Amino acid sequence: MFDLESQIRKWRRHIQSTGSLGAQDVEELESHLRDGIDELTGRGVNVEEAFLVSIHRMGDAAALQHEFTKVSTERVWRQLLLPAADEHARRKHRNEIAVVVLLVLLGGLLAKIPALFGYSVVEENALLYAKNAALFAFPPVAIYLIWKRALSLRFVAAAVATFGLFAVAVNAYPSYAPHHTEVLAVLHVPIALLLLLMALYAGPGWRRADLRLDFVRFAGEAFIYSVLIGLGGLVLVGVAGAMFQLVGIDIVPLISDWIAVFGAAGVFVFSAYLVEKKKGVIETIAPVLARIFTPLFLVVLLALVVTMALTGQAPSEDRELLIMFDIVLALVLGLVLYTMSARDTEKPADWWDAIVLGLVVMALIADAVALSGIVGRLATYGFSPNKAAALGENVALMINLLLLAAGYFRFLSGRLRYQTVVDWQMSYLPVHALWAAFVALAFPPLFEFA
Amino acid sequence: MDIQKDLVAASATPIVLSLLRHGESYGYAIIRSVREVSGDRIEWTDGMLYPVLHRLEAAGFVRSTWRTADSGRRRKYYRITKQGEAELARLREQWDVVHDALGRLAQSRKTGADDV
Repeated sequence: MFDLESQIRKWRRHIQSTGSLGAQDVEELESHLRDGIDELTGRGVNVEEAFLVSIHRMGDAAALQHEFTKVSTERVWRQLLLPAADEHARRKHRNEIAVVVLLVLLGGLLAKIPALFGYSVVEENALLYAKNAALFAFPPVAIYLIWKRALSLRFVAAAVATFGLFAVAVNAYPSYAPHHTEVLAVLHVPIALLLLLMALYAGPGWRRADLRLDFVRFAGEAFIYSVLIGLGGLVLVGVAGAMFQLVGIDIVPLISDWIAVFGAAGVFVFSAYLVEKKKGVIETIAPVLARIFTPLFLVVLLALVVTMALTGQAPSEDRELLIMFDIVLALVLGLVLYTMSARDTEKPADWWDAIVLGLVVMALIADAVALSGIVGRLATYGFSPNKAAALGENVALMINLLLLAAGYFRFLSGRLRYQTVVDWQMSYLPVHALWAAFVALAFPPLFEFA
Repeated sequence: MDIQKDLVAASATPIVLSLLRHGESYGYAIIRSVREVSGDRIEWTDGMLYPVLHRLEAAGFVRSTWRTADSGRRRKYYRITKQGEAELARLREQWDVVHDALGRLAQSRKTGADDV
């Protein structure tokens, strides 16, 4: 069956990947395309034909974009028509790498700000650096996205306000032993800030599920790139350190104070640039990762549930257990998101979707079995910040997986389109970030900065 | 009638500006109006209009705003600016000169031929 929405999505991805089109340009072209389709279907043409005719009429939006960066003698009229845009696009292209290099340096400079206040040794101030890590690494990514998408001042203001709020809250809050709320900020600030990056990535269409899914792809791929580049960096630094030691020079201070700091803070914006440049790599990596680890995880969870049922062993450490199961649920969610981002939404349900559903359900069962044992005890000892944060995440993740289970079940039984499952998941995504923001911003005052 | 590409390109700016002088509009409607007004003789590739509009906006001749239509679709509406009106007047003058010259040449050739 012809699915207009997924065809339009493919078309949009296609023209996005061919040129230097901004988010707004693509949205405008899409609106145009839909107008054309509506007019034709209004005259009685069927949807599939209307789509094809409209695409054809749009002409070579892709080729046209292509012309922006390539001079073609056959199409003189385009050059006559678009001299400014042509030159502009080429200049932008050339400037991009310069902008990215500057942004990498900016990340490094941000990471050197604590040194101005006398906290120069990273090892001695690990917590300070860790809780600010996202505030060093993400602003360059945000600037890159704003620049790349030519976003309006409203987005710039939102970005400045968000980063400012977190920077002030994270660093101005006092912290008393045992510093639990401060440690919580380390993990929760990046998650909360991802929501801002999602808004900047999607631009004016930030409410749209398909753009959010694009961001999931983008973030997943940038993560893979960052890990690969980081590993390469470690090897380089290790080799360099060893070599200089052989000739009697200790460059470790130089490495740990400058190279490592700049590298760590800059790698994300560079990865973001790589992802934007060569879209489509995730379409080969994500399915492979998902296919390898989905069944393996399913087996592990199954074994866990069976063990718990047979031994009746209720784990004794509540907090550790909560955190462990948060990690399990988050990993399962990650696997489903990877699967989702690589899946063709119009493909009918197959056995693989059943395995995904199995994984989600198994994770929920494991979580329920494990938590049922400690629910009573949670309230008795009162809530520490760690326990409250872990419990909140568990609830957020559990609802998310319930949603996915319900969606997958109805999709498999043919009562729901896969696109709807995607829509549900994408609408739910901000919940995780909002909870993380709550933990990072509201927990310290709530728990008296302990 | 197939109008030469160069002429299509050169006339795009004045045509778009003239159209917007009658009120704001969006890409799809602009193309439709041009087709109607020219009796289907000026046919633009849909995709070609947007670079023109964006170039005009960059030059300050038009200004755009995103709005949601009654149908719920988000559209980018374009409106002519004071600068745009001035530019249009300038372009109109140039076209008039060309048009005049062409007209006169056609005339004088006719009368000239009669004289000989």
